Amino acid sequence: MITQQALRALVDEWIGAGTKVAGPSYVKKDFCQYVPLASSAELLLEGFIHPRNSIKEFFFPRHEKIYEYALKGHEVELADMSPASTPQVIIAARPCDTAAVAILDAVFNWGDKDEFYTRRRDAATIVALACVQHDSQCFCTSVGLGPDAEKGADAMLLPMDGGFEVRCITDKGRALFAGRTQSSDKTAVIPEGPKVKMSPEQVRKALEDYENPLWKTATLRCLSCGACSFTCPTCHCFDIVDEGNAHGGCRAKNWDSCQLCMFTKHASGHNPRNVQGQRQRQRTQHKFRIYPDKFGEVLCTGCGNCARNCPVSLGVLGTLIELCAEMPESVGESK
Amino acid sequence: MSNIYMPDLMEVVEVKQHTADVKSVKIRFKDAEKQKNFSFRVGQFGMYSLFGEGESTFNICSSSNWKDSIEFCFRKTGKVTDAFWRIDEGDTIGFRGPYGNSYPMEAWEGKNLIFIGGGIAMPPIRCAIWYALENRAKYGNITVVYGARTTRDLVFADELDQWAEYDRVRIIKCVDPGGDTPEWKGEVGLIPNVLAAANVAADNTAALVIGPPIMIKFTLPVLDKMGVSAPDIYTSLENRMKCGVGKCGRCNCGPVYVCKEGPIFTMEQLNALPADF
Repeated sequence: MITQQALRALVDEWIGAGTKVAGPSYVKKDFCQYVPLASSAELLLEGFIHPRNSIKEFFFPRHEKIYEYALKGHEVELADMSPASTPQVIIAARPCDTAAVAILDAVFNWGDKDEFYTRRRDAATIVALACVQHDSQCFCTSVGLGPDAEKGADAMLLPMDGGFEVRCITDKGRALFAGRTQSSDKTAVIPEGPKVKMSPEQVRKALEDYENPLWKTATLRCLSCGACSFTCPTCHCFDIVDEGNAHGGCRAKNWDSCQLCMFTKHASGHNPRNVQGQRQRQRTQHKFRIYPDKFGEVLCTGCGNCARNCPVSLGVLGTLIELCAEMPESVGESK
Repeated sequence: MSNIYMPDLMEVVEVKQHTADVKSVKIRFKDAEKQKNFSFRVGQFGMYSLFGEGESTFNICSSSNWKDSIEFCFRKTGKVTDAFWRIDEGDTIGFRGPYGNSYPMEAWEGKNLIFIGGGIAMPPIRCAIWYALENRAKYGNITVVYGARTTRDLVFADELDQWAEYDRVRIIKCVDPGGDTPEWKGEVGLIPNVLAAANVAADNTAALVIGPPIMIKFTLPVLDKMGVSAPDIYTSLENRMKCGVGKCGRCNCGPVYVCKEGPIFTMEQLNALPADF
């Protein structure tokens, strides 16, 4: 185990050694986010359910330069902006966020590797913080995870009397805590997570019907703001744009969302997904059918951020439950 | 290369204006070694950059047998193509590619080919036509049905005449009713009707159909009646793309990443996808 005091001292040690450290912190009253930490005093280790963002931005930033260009007459000079492999530690990430990174590895590594992601990922150590509380939006147990799921984590902190049980999962995790823990005859007791609320298999089955009228009715309230995808730990769509002028500038990767109306619009004006129902359908399809078919895993960790951050309380979980409700009890049965 | 989004620098060798809003551009790698080693298959696409303006996706519309340069063709319709309209010989642009799958030119050997294109769809067909003509002995009869709104909207019009000079090649040009001039020697009518009336033998045939969704929709029943079935009808999807390498999620259509598993699909494959294209 490690006491909270010793843990904070360790975090300060990492920061002092030049390692980038990020973790949950109150950025304003009642508003918790994962942010880069200047000192362990900012680090939140209890009393929060889930930060408003996810840890994906430490591997896949909202905005990042791909390269810089300089125009000189007819000539162009390009400067590669590939990131350096700077060590970073993500501390106190919720298990649903660490699992998301493990899931995202597949898409950034298939075919051509996206080294903007993989370099940061390779240089990062992720320490999860097991959950002792959950709210009505949490549904990790429905997608095979749970309050102390180890997926994607290098080490895990499990809250217990006087500190945390430290569970080292990978060599990276062991290296981080080597010699810094003390033995204890007690172990942490992690309560059960949220009850199972829906079944990915049933959602998948329901998604085979592209013309399900649910997509028209359930999505009428949607504002097409994209908050669900921006705060989602697994949504990873991005845009590539030029920012600069006739002398020079950069090309950048920026977060994008399939919920925005311009996302698929052709230059001709034709838009394959021109109504919100189609866009919500796409997002759900991508998470529960396309990604599992291609990469073998559901692109959702049940963190609940999509519903928690929705300005009209649309509740993606609610839509999923409705989808499942239409299905017969047995998943294997045909419609 | 470790940065997969980094383009190669290309010199603009030639710019040719085809219609009031369509140009084709011939480009060459600035690095002669790269030009020498570059190869692609007809049907593949590239990402073309104009620095400060952005990046656009176009098919490589030259034949893969032409080693000296590659060509792309565009219609002036948006921010990047507006800027491409202003480029000139000697300018520098960026290129990434080749990406995506290609036409099954080997599987088509021994078959009769029907190429059907509407308007700006000629460039992605043109590369396959030239490739087939350059390997003339390997393919059966070649029929090209090319339609545009008016006589002034035909792209690569001069090449249609060159193709007609090859053996066993039939070129059917058409323009929409009202788009003809007194001098027009081609057909007048919409592509599906022109095709239906053209009496093209369709045994042992593969068809490549590219054009606006509405044209494709009405051409398919005609092909079906002629006896060309869904597994033998090919098209190229034009989903919007950004990365071209299966990361950014934009071209996603049902279970496929169009940039990786496409852009060339048979109608049989498309029938199994949602209509997100």
